[in-house]
Amino acid sequence: MSMRVSSRKHAPGLDRLGSINDDGSRRHPEPADISGRFTRGRRAVYAMLMAIYVTLPFVEIGGDRAVHLDIPGRRFHLFGSVFNAQDGFRLLLLALTVAFGLLFVTAVWGRLWCGWACPQSVFIEGLFRPIERLIDGPREQRIRLRQQGFSPRRLPLVLLKHALYLAVAFLLAHALLALFVPLPKLVGMMSHAPGVNAVPFGWAMAVTGVLYFDGAWFREQFCVVLCPYGRLQSVLTDEHSLVIGYDAARGEPRRGKAAPEGRLSLPVVDGTREGDCVDCGRCVSVCPTAIDIRNGLQMECIGCAQCVDACDDVMDRLSRPRGLVRYDSLSGLVGHQRRRVRSRVVVYGLVFASVVTALIVTTVLRRPFEAELVRARGMPYVVDGDRVRNTFELHVVNKQPVAAELLVTTLADDGTEVTLPVDRITLGSLDDFRLPVVATRSRTAGSASIRLTVTEKDSGRVRDITAPLLGPVAH
Amino acid sequence: MSADRHDNPTPDQSPLDTGHDYDGIREHDNVLPNWWLATLFLTMAFGLGYWLYYHVSGAGLLPRGEYAAELDAAAQRARAAAAGRGEPDDALLKTLAASEQTTAAGRRTFEQSCVACHGAQGQGVVGPNLTDSSWIHGARPVEIRRTVAAGVTSKGMPAWETVLGAERVDEVVAYVLTLKGRNVPGKPPEGSVVAP
Repeated sequence: MSMRVSSRKHAPGLDRLGSINDDGSRRHPEPADISGRFTRGRRAVYAMLMAIYVTLPFVEIGGDRAVHLDIPGRRFHLFGSVFNAQDGFRLLLLALTVAFGLLFVTAVWGRLWCGWACPQSVFIEGLFRPIERLIDGPREQRIRLRQQGFSPRRLPLVLLKHALYLAVAFLLAHALLALFVPLPKLVGMMSHAPGVNAVPFGWAMAVTGVLYFDGAWFREQFCVVLCPYGRLQSVLTDEHSLVIGYDAARGEPRRGKAAPEGRLSLPVVDGTREGDCVDCGRCVSVCPTAIDIRNGLQMECIGCAQCVDACDDVMDRLSRPRGLVRYDSLSGLVGHQRRRVRSRVVVYGLVFASVVTALIVTTVLRRPFEAELVRARGMPYVVDGDRVRNTFELHVVNKQPVAAELLVTTLADDGTEVTLPVDRITLGSLDDFRLPVVATRSRTAGSASIRLTVTEKDSGRVRDITAPLLGPVAH
Repeated sequence: MSADRHDNPTPDQSPLDTGHDYDGIREHDNVLPNWWLATLFLTMAFGLGYWLYYHVSGAGLLPRGEYAAELDAAAQRARAAAAGRGEPDDALLKTLAASEQTTAAGRRTFEQSCVACHGAQGQGVVGPNLTDSSWIHGARPVEIRRTVAAGVTSKGMPAWETVLGAERVDEVVAYVLTLKGRNVPGKPPEGSVVAP
C-alpha cells in the first residue's frame, strides 16, 4: 500500500474513486483550509457533541452513573432508571425507533447526519485533521510532503503527530469504555497491571487501535466503502430529498480553461452566455472525499458542505450571488419545485411516530418490580389423601435503585387453600427473592385456580397473576 | 434519481469500460483498493494459520477439549476447598446457631428452600416437624447437618449441599437448631425421642 501519488494527473471523475489511484494505492485527499457559515456551524455542533461525549461518564444520577451499561450484571442504568433482561423487548422498540427515525430524516433531509453528527466526521474533522494541519501544514505543504515521502529529518514531527493521534484515540476509547465500567472503577483498573482486568484492557486497546487506524489513515474509506448508511442512500433518498449540489444551469458553461475530457459540460446555448462557475477548483480542493460536486450527486459525498462554503466565498469575491453550490433537492437544482410531502415521508413518519410512542408509553408505565409465578421443580402435583397439592415459586425482582416492600395477597376459589410463608417481602435495590407458594384443592373439585396479587407498597403498582392448579382427572 | 446529467462518460472515452450496460449504467473494471485486497489476503493467511493450529497440530483445544479442561479445573478447585475447610463439628454448629447474622441468613435460605415441606415455622407439612424433640435421622447438630447435606432421597428430602453449597447448609442448619424445642403444633412426632 504505497502512499505515493500517481504521476498521471488524477482528477475526480464519475468513473472511479478519487481516493484510490489507478494502481490501487491510496490517494489521500488533502482538504484545503475552509471557513464559512456551514463550517462554523459544524464546528459548533462538533464541539457540543464532543463535550457531551467526554462529560457523560462524569454525570451521576440516582446514585449511579447516568449511563452505565452493566453487561456482566445484565442491567442497563440509564438516567436513574434500571432496565434488566425482562425489558428486552424495549430494545426492539428502540431499534425500530432509530431505524424509522433515520429513514424519515433521510427521506426529507438527506445525508445530514454524515457531515454534521457522525462520530467519524466529529472525531476526524474535529480532532485528527486539526492535529495534522497543525503539524504538517496547509494543503500544498501536505501534498508536497506526501510526494517527497518519508525523510529522517521529519522523524520528530511524525512521531509527535502519531503520538497525538494515539493520545486522542486513547481518550476517546476510554470515554466509551466508561459507559460500561463506571469511571471510578475504570480509573482503579488503570492503576493495576493490564493482566488483572484483562477483558476491559483488551477492549480499551482494541477500540484505541481502531480509532487510531481510522483517524490516522483509513478516514474517508470508511464512508465510501464500509458504512452501511452510505450504501443505502440511493434507496432512502429521491429527487426531493435535501442534498448538496451544483446548479449547472447557472454555472455552465464554465469560464476560464476548458473542462478536461470526461467531465460533464453543457453545450453553450448561445455563444455569448457564460456560466458563473469560474473553474477555480476550490470546491474540489476542499472536498474530504475527493470528488467534484459539479459532476452531480455522487456516492462519496457525505454532505459536509465545505464545497458550499468554498464556492460562496468565491462568489462573494466576484460580487455574484451565493448558492452556485448549495443545499437543495435534485429537482430544485434543475429548477423544479421541491415537494416535501411525499408518500415515503408520510409512511416513514407515521411508523416512526407510532414506534416512538410505543417506546415512551411502555417505558413510562413500567412497573418498578417483576413478579413471575412458576411451578416448583419436581412433580406437577402431589395427591395427599383427598387433597391435591401444587407447589409454585413466586419470583420477585425489585428493579428500583432503592429498597422496596412488596405485599402479596391471594384470592382462591372455594375449596382451594393457598399457603404463603410470608406475605410481606422486603427487597434491596435490584434484589430478587423466590417465595414458595403451596396451593391445595379437594381431589374431587375438578379444575381450580389461584390468583396472586403483588403490590409495591410505595407506588401502589400492582401485578396480578393467575395460575391453574394441576391434578388428576376428577371422577 | 433519473436526471440524465449523471450518466457516465460515453463508452469510447473510458479505457476501463467492459462493454456491459445495466439500464444505462456502464460497468467499469476499476482497480480494487490495495487495502481491500490486503484484507482478503490477511483472511486467507488467518484461515490457514487457524486450520494448522486447531485442526492439524492439535495445539489448540476444540470446544469439547475446552469443556473437559474446565471440568477438571472445577473439580480441582472443589477438592482444594473441601480439604481446606474440614467438616464442621457440633461445637462449631452450636456457635453458628448463636450468631444472629448466621441464623438470619439461614432463615432466608429456610424460607426459600425448606418451608414448602417443613412449614413456615418448621411445624411439618410434608416433611417432619422440626420443632419437637423427635428426630428420625439423629438430633446432634452434626447429624442434622448430614441429613440436610446428603438428603434422604428415599423419603423425598433433597441433598442440599450440591444446591446451596456448604456455607449455606451450615447457615440453615444453624437456623434449624434455633427451631429445636419450640414445639409448634403441626405434624405429630416421628422418629425417636431425644432428650433435649
